[in-house]
Amino acid sequence: MATEVSTTAVVAPRIRTRRPRPVPEGGRINWGLTIIVAIVSLIVILPLYFAIAMALKSPAQTGTGTGFNFPWPIQWGNFRAAWDLTDTPLAASMSLLITLIAVAGEIIVSALAAWAIVRNWGHWQFRATFGYLMIALFIPFPVVALPQVKLMSAIGLDNPFGVAILHIMFNLAFNVLLFSAFIRGIPVELEESARLDGCSTWQTFRRIVLPLLAPISATVGIFAFLQSWNDFMMPRLITSNPKFQTLPVVQYLFQDQFTTNINVAFASYLMALLPTLVAFLIAQRWVVSGIMRGSIK
Amino acid sequence: MSRRTMMKTVGLGTAGLAVPGLVAGCSSGGGGRTSIVLEETKPEVIPYFNNLVAKFNASQKSVSVTHDSSSSLIAAFVRGNPPDIDCDNYNLTTSIFVARGVLADLASLPQAQTIEPNIQALVTQYASYKGETSVLPYSVAAEGVIYNVDLFDKVGVSAVPTTLTEFLAVCEKFKSAGITPVYQTYGDTWTTQQGLFDYTVGGMIDVAGFYKQLGAAGTNLGPNSSVSFEKDFTEPCKKMLSLAPYFNDNAISKHYADGNTAFAAGQAGMYMQGPWAVGQVLAINPKVKMGTFPLPATDDASQTKCRANLDLAIWLPRSQGSAQRAAAIEFLGYLMQPSVVNAYNQANLAFSPLKGAPPQTSPLVSGLQKYVSSGAFYQGAGTYVPLTIPVGNFIQEMMLTGNVSGFTSSMDGAFKRLAIRTSA
Amino acid sequence: MTATSAPAGRNPLRMLKNLFFPVAPAYLLMIIPAIVLFTFFIIYPTIQGMFYSFTNFVGYGTFHSIGFANYKAAFSDPTIRDSYGFTLLFAVVACIFTNVVALAIAIALNAKIKWRSGLRTIFFMPMVLSGLIVSYIFTFIISTSVPIISAAIHFAPLESNILANQHLAWLGVVFVASWVAIPGAIIIFLAGLTGISTEVYEAVSIDGANVWTTFRRITFPLLFSFLVINTILTFKNFLNVYDVVVGLTGGGPGTATTSVAQTIFSGFFNGDYAYQMANAVIFFLITLFFAVFQLSVIRRRGGGL
Repeated sequence: MATEVSTTAVVAPRIRTRRPRPVPEGGRINWGLTIIVAIVSLIVILPLYFAIAMALKSPAQTGTGTGFNFPWPIQWGNFRAAWDLTDTPLAASMSLLITLIAVAGEIIVSALAAWAIVRNWGHWQFRATFGYLMIALFIPFPVVALPQVKLMSAIGLDNPFGVAILHIMFNLAFNVLLFSAFIRGIPVELEESARLDGCSTWQTFRRIVLPLLAPISATVGIFAFLQSWNDFMMPRLITSNPKFQTLPVVQYLFQDQFTTNINVAFASYLMALLPTLVAFLIAQRWVVSGIMRGSIK
Repeated sequence: MSRRTMMKTVGLGTAGLAVPGLVAGCSSGGGGRTSIVLEETKPEVIPYFNNLVAKFNASQKSVSVTHDSSSSLIAAFVRGNPPDIDCDNYNLTTSIFVARGVLADLASLPQAQTIEPNIQALVTQYASYKGETSVLPYSVAAEGVIYNVDLFDKVGVSAVPTTLTEFLAVCEKFKSAGITPVYQTYGDTWTTQQGLFDYTVGGMIDVAGFYKQLGAAGTNLGPNSSVSFEKDFTEPCKKMLSLAPYFNDNAISKHYADGNTAFAAGQAGMYMQGPWAVGQVLAINPKVKMGTFPLPATDDASQTKCRANLDLAIWLPRSQGSAQRAAAIEFLGYLMQPSVVNAYNQANLAFSPLKGAPPQTSPLVSGLQKYVSSGAFYQGAGTYVPLTIPVGNFIQEMMLTGNVSGFTSSMDGAFKRLAIRTSA
Repeated sequence: MTATSAPAGRNPLRMLKNLFFPVAPAYLLMIIPAIVLFTFFIIYPTIQGMFYSFTNFVGYGTFHSIGFANYKAAFSDPTIRDSYGFTLLFAVVACIFTNVVALAIAIALNAKIKWRSGLRTIFFMPMVLSGLIVSYIFTFIISTSVPIISAAIHFAPLESNILANQHLAWLGVVFVASWVAIPGAIIIFLAGLTGISTEVYEAVSIDGANVWTTFRRITFPLLFSFLVINTILTFKNFLNVYDVVVGLTGGGPGTATTSVAQTIFSGFFNGDYAYQMANAVIFFLITLFFAVFQLSVIRRRGGGL
């Protein structure tokens, strides 16, 4: 029954109707709420400021005060040190390679699978497949870690490509869940009218469904990007050649308890943040714009 | 459409960045050299070993060594591609490689004969495989109580304590002078485990013998077995707790880095840490003058021993291509030349495992030399505990609650359960 | 569902068509390769992992079967028992906290407030950091900055480092883990909220309903399926907590905040792999049980609303 409720709740993004955007335009702005939200947002901002401050301090500056003191003089050298120590360009491009393959793969594979399942929900085989995936959603990673390491090595995929493939497979269940919830809100009539016009199944998907999936694709994409980019455990275990290691694994050097160069470590984390921020800001525009479009009935 | 084009350009750009890296990784040493991988992960000496590797590569034309310091050894063995030669800390976890027989037997190498026997024994105390020589020691680290020389002078201590009574007297002197006698950092469990715990226990019981009999007792571990934690560890633990008045009050909130900072700032007279901490402290305050002495846990000075461990040891994997094996042995030969081994140990506040090696002259750790030379050392009691048993956390709990019997019964129970399932 | 007729020459497709009559082959192509790969890369290793739990395998070298010895030992191991106790308590509290806070923030971010997109961006920020890095940041803040500030303003409960307190450390873990999880939950709630047409709200406000009634009668029922998704997913993720625990407390003080995932992973790196695989299988079954339990409770309640 829960899934039925969602069909009414998720409104189909009708891209043709235009209505005034329900954005506050002068007056009726809830200032009280704005202030409350702004104060609550401090809980987010302060730790981030802290991280930036740490990256700009020296060990001596770190030891004093509350940690929130403004870093002065600013130790720009931390970034240079982090860049050299972790060979950031190579590690970052490895991370980026895996992440881009994983994101593209996850969106395409999961969208297709989800659409096939939702459009054939009448057949028990497809419902069973959905259930199969949902159960797999709960498999804890430690259970599969070691056998996967052996498996990937045995078939010669103990490299970044193998990691990307595993990311796609691991997130298949979650992504199919998200896509299918969204697809249920897309009226079948759109596709049926396309078929009447002579489109094949593939064409229907490509021309009609895929564009409509933009907001949820962006959402899936951003989740996938973050999970892939920040993933430490899988690349560490699967990739055999240390030259092809990703950024989080290389940054792991700093976490050894016998070194105290926290400031350089934070500088490294901030540098690793940049692509994520960029991807995030780009995707967020689509998510928000898609949400806006979806809200227009 | 613009999204697609952007994706394409980003994708191509990434590939463009990545390809040179991938291609570079594919090339062999160049010009017919056998390339092998040295796995060495001790962070402080990575530059030192980079240097050694570069010298070796330049000195001959048949082998090219790459120094890697980031792979997971376990994952490497699972994948079936372990490093060609490894030089790392030898501990109970590494000894599993020995026990499972995945390391090569090095007994036939001439270098195996150059090792001092009671240091080679440190290898088999954890595990052995059919009497083989699976690991060659490279660097012995010795640990004791680090003390601040200037502060010792300040409170009027003229000689390092060699008995427990003398040690307590020194602590009293510091306490009356308003200085923390010993700085503890319970926040990082490993510091208490390797320091206070290992030193006290090691100074009072025969650690290696205890664990050997513990293993023999197996599933019969309990009140009737010849050894148990309850029987043998209760006294040392009580002694640990009795020293608590001489520690800093906020020990539970303090971590390793805090301890280094505080000791460097002269806030405590003594610090139960190893030579690794010495470097950290000097980095914070180069003017600190330090020395080390082993903790005298009893009043019998002849019983005093220092803690030791194989900070670095070399092994080769058993399954290895013949070209790689030959290359690895050649590199091993280079590394284990007395000049190289002794120079490394001298420079890194450690002790050489070779017979007839020159003594460590640095005043920072030379106080332990005579104990190392005479074989008066032990491997820490905490190091014999499989990591599946969180002994560090148990010790931390004991220091906080004062509950010794809770600690010993946890340990006995854990080892008994371990024996039950490993003997199946 | 129109069936496309496959030409007689394409035998495999025809066979498939007869098997899955009358499904279009295109759909099969979309789903079957994915499922096959999924089974090969995920399910097959899972079964292998389960198999290893009946042996003394360490990942390499020789091993032999030991039957149920690992399982028997796991059930009598206080460390494992305590880790389940902590993990379950933590997951329940963090799940409730995260969903309540995320829902409140999502509603606020969906309302007519100034700087709406800027504030939304701020609340999504924590997502870009990995759990481990967030933990390192908060370790310092909670153990150093908070006590200093609390002492300055004489707020006694927080003057000592709560992460060093055996009974309170888990609260720190709850807070940090929620900090990481809330942005994702907000996104999902926002997706649901913006699907609720503003006409509905306007109609209700004309009828004179106040904020709470609006929420209870309109917002909540329409958000229901998103709440279901969020609850089940956040609970599962919290059950699997690893990064935050390792980064924030290392499982301490004592063993107060050791999570199940941490214990299981430690087995892999400490040569106790097979034993922890038994633990992992038990954990998987418990996770499944909770998911099914939650679904059935929610379905019953959903019918009642």
